[in-house]
Amino acid sequence: MDLIALANCLVSPSCLVTQTTSGLIIGLLLFLVAAGLTLIFGVLNVVNFAHGSFYMMGAYFAYTVYVFTGSYALAIVGAALGVAVFSIVFERFFMSRVYGGNVLMQLLVCYAFILILDDVVKIVWGPEFKSMGMPDYFRRPPVFIAGGVIPVFYLFLMGMTALIGAGLWLIIGYTRFGKVVRAAAVNPQMVSALGINTGLVFASVFALGGLLAGLAGALAVPVRSLVSGMGFSILIESFIVTVIGGMGSIVGAFVGAILVGMVRSYGSIGFPLFVEGLMFLLMAIILVIKPSGLFGKEA
Amino acid sequence: MFSKHKALDRRSVIKGAATSAAALLATPHIAGAQAKVIKIGMPTILSGRVAQLGTSSRNAVMMEVEKINAQGGLAGRTIEVVVRDSKGQPQEAARVSRELINTDGCEILIDAEASSGSFAVQEVVKDLGVLCIHTCSETSSLTADPKIRVPNAFRVCRQGIHDSIAGGEYAAKISLAKGLKTWATCSPDYAYGRDSTQLFVEYLKLFNPAVEVTTETWPKLFQPDYTEVITKLLQAKPQALYSCLWGGDLTSWIDQASIYAMFGQMEVFAINMADYTALTVVKNLPKGIHSGNRYIKTFPKTERNAKYGDAYRAKYNEYPTNWSWENAAAMQFLAAASKKANSADGKQIAEALRGLKIESEFGQDGTMTMRAEDQTVIGYAIGWGTTIAQEPYVPEITAGNWAKILELETAWKKKSGYL
Amino acid sequence: MSKPTAHTNRAADTPSRPPIGRASLQRDIIIAGVAVAALILLRVIWPSPAITDFTIRVAAYAIFATSLNLLVGYAGMVSFGHGMFFGFGAYCFGLVMQRLALPIPIAILITITATAALALVVGAICIRLKDIYFSFITLAFQMLIYSLIVAWVPLTGGDQGLQGGIPRPSFLGINLATPLHLYIFAIVMLALSLLVMRHIAESSFGYTLRMIRDNMERASFLGINVYLVRLIAFMVAGVFASLGGVVMALFVSGAYPEFSNWTMSGEGIFMIMMGGISTFIGPTAGAIILSLLNDVVTRRTEHHGLALGIVILVFALGLKKGVTDFAADWWRASGDSKGGKQAAEARP
Repeated sequence: MDLIALANCLVSPSCLVTQTTSGLIIGLLLFLVAAGLTLIFGVLNVVNFAHGSFYMMGAYFAYTVYVFTGSYALAIVGAALGVAVFSIVFERFFMSRVYGGNVLMQLLVCYAFILILDDVVKIVWGPEFKSMGMPDYFRRPPVFIAGGVIPVFYLFLMGMTALIGAGLWLIIGYTRFGKVVRAAAVNPQMVSALGINTGLVFASVFALGGLLAGLAGALAVPVRSLVSGMGFSILIESFIVTVIGGMGSIVGAFVGAILVGMVRSYGSIGFPLFVEGLMFLLMAIILVIKPSGLFGKEA
Repeated sequence: MFSKHKALDRRSVIKGAATSAAALLATPHIAGAQAKVIKIGMPTILSGRVAQLGTSSRNAVMMEVEKINAQGGLAGRTIEVVVRDSKGQPQEAARVSRELINTDGCEILIDAEASSGSFAVQEVVKDLGVLCIHTCSETSSLTADPKIRVPNAFRVCRQGIHDSIAGGEYAAKISLAKGLKTWATCSPDYAYGRDSTQLFVEYLKLFNPAVEVTTETWPKLFQPDYTEVITKLLQAKPQALYSCLWGGDLTSWIDQASIYAMFGQMEVFAINMADYTALTVVKNLPKGIHSGNRYIKTFPKTERNAKYGDAYRAKYNEYPTNWSWENAAAMQFLAAASKKANSADGKQIAEALRGLKIESEFGQDGTMTMRAEDQTVIGYAIGWGTTIAQEPYVPEITAGNWAKILELETAWKKKSGYL
Repeated sequence: MSKPTAHTNRAADTPSRPPIGRASLQRDIIIAGVAVAALILLRVIWPSPAITDFTIRVAAYAIFATSLNLLVGYAGMVSFGHGMFFGFGAYCFGLVMQRLALPIPIAILITITATAALALVVGAICIRLKDIYFSFITLAFQMLIYSLIVAWVPLTGGDQGLQGGIPRPSFLGINLATPLHLYIFAIVMLALSLLVMRHIAESSFGYTLRMIRDNMERASFLGINVYLVRLIAFMVAGVFASLGGVVMALFVSGAYPEFSNWTMSGEGIFMIMMGGISTFIGPTAGAIILSLLNDVVTRRTEHHGLALGIVILVFALGLKKGVTDFAADWWRASGDSKGGKQAAEARP
């Protein structure tokens, strides 16, 4: 424990700026993955344990598109669409067969996909680590704000995630699709009785979740190395985020993600050897106090 | 049970491409009534995030096996390698090793397991008495601790304590020359990371007492994002930094630290940087990172070593890894010991291995020795240099001083209660 | 062994007490005895080290999986963190043997007591949550235990595991350092554990669990202390999981953090799913199937993730049930009249 260092940081503007942005960057990428996870749970009552693999696929798709075209913009679009399409296939042909059944059956199907996708990645891209590298236009010196450092790429990243988050909020809150999705979350039979194709709704929700995970993978790939199995740690962290925020709540996912980002960022200064433990502790405490999470509806 | 047994007979084994040709050549050497083929089992990690450890270890072993079989195998017996994946789980490593020995009839194990897996394999060979060479576990206690050591197990690979002494001495020299007094560390929080860092700092301070470590950061192993660690290092503003991150973790960390322009602000000593797994992967490798050698074509600067690197690359379309040379060297020791003992018997090879000195491209002076007292290899290439962005990546490497390393290692063993 | 009786007495206060078949217990004892004898005979006739190793390992997994099924199948408590007790058992036993050099039976007793205490503390917190939230919090506690094992290096050896081997001194003429004795020990442990768990499952306590699983409100309304019953179930399952860990620790002569990682809990769940959760013997069958599958697939291909994934998909999407579930269905269909008890046990 190093509480003095933490206290020193909290009164230094440069440290505050740097650590807060650092927490935001970690949190915002996590939010993209967690938002998909929580959306799928909210509407379908399915915990998509394969969501980390979606993120991995996003990263590999982006890497491949970038290598072939040299355009990072295309890479982001390609990854998002690629994973969205895959999610539809995953939902229609596999997950839809185990809806309503045992949660363990869903777990089995997801686990099978984790295993399969990890191996497919190894076969297609090889077992070695890969790194895409920073696109040229982001290769410039970091920006200084109040003595704190912020890399240019991270400014872009924060802008992008803010845009995506806002877009998601608009879609869910103000479009017809959003209304149907929210209605399906409450009462799918009713939505079905109204003549809406629930299968289509479910597939689109999965596609949207996959799209978000793919975007997260694509946005992370300039600074994170790629390897088969990389989705796992992301899965665990986005789990913590969704459980803290409340399964099914997108606002909760946002708050949870930022919370986890800040715990990591400031925790690494105050409790350098117990950052991971802090997160599990946070999760356990919140579950005990409010089992459904900060923004979750009581079961 | 029956389906299992059926599967045993049709097991998938990997054979050296030249096995059959070599078998013909080897005919005159067949010793008595022994089986013509000798099986060598190889538990390793072929899946998950460190699958490259297994694939590059296997590649290196197969390449040596071809050479050995072409020259008549082990005392006339053709080598057949059976590789199994433990998925990096120690209990699977134990199971797979037992199976290789008990079911597949392997007479020798090349244990290409990392960390905890190698300790699990050590327990198995203690029980079963089979000759075993550990090739990927750099944890010093595996052979240094007499409570863990067994007479039939050897180690042919880099060792943490050697690395730390060589690194400490080199870093002390640079820090004295450049006046680097405040240091920070950034290492993965697991046994290797902790031991390596603690020992490096210990020897750095021994050679340059003015050094002070002001900040420590301990990211988790396989952590995807190092931002909080990097910003903490930037806040601390040390003059120099030590890191023993490796592989994909190291490349992520470098990519993320680069956009914070961290590498211009402090002298960085990343012991695992000069490994092709990291060197060839990082785009825009920062110039001037100090690193220990892992496997590199330019050190030892001999024609034989460069040739090995090129031949390996021609065959597998990638450069050898640190694990590659360790496994290749293990096979070289095995072949030499078998030749010396004129036998393929595990006990006799083990006897011949103790104290054996062989010629090798991986030796600092062209030779390496299997130290008899703790059955671990010494004299391998060890040194430090600085990076450039393109091949040969680390053009000049300052050789470590083995005499000094061995002297301090003995002191360390005494201090740790191993002697 | 005193535990189950205690449960039975407690549960005897509850109004819903089905008669315990003394005959069926005797039958179970006979079946267990015959199975143990057959397995020992097999080893004598066919002394293959491969089979010995396989059986010991399966015994450890079968005890673990069956204990998990007490929670999942009988009590409807889907724990994602059951591996913590498996790992805790292995570490506790290993540490007692390494540091205190006590006889093995005493070390096992200490392990059981310590695990019960841990399960009491963890359970007291987790039991308050239901459904998927129970699953999550058990996962969180498992990761906490895992983090502790990895972080507490001086005691546990951290990620390297307990080093230097676990001493296996002889007791009562049994030397567990020899494969034959360890083999017999493992199958006897398995048989005893299954017998006791079977007895618990078929006791009035077991039927109380089923009632809570099917309708918690009704059970509560009938005056059952749901919290206490669930807590006891959690502790009993934890204790047996730790016994699985003990057998595994003896087999590999060590303990590793992976024992209490999420993968162990996951494997336990696959075992009970593949074997079938509606029959008592299902998890044991699942342990055999998954171990066989794992061994065969890893021998044959490097891409075992792909192969295993496809097999799991076939199970989950094609068969939708464990193998013993099919056997139970067939049994019920072929003898409708005597299938009454089985049907009561079957889960919708």
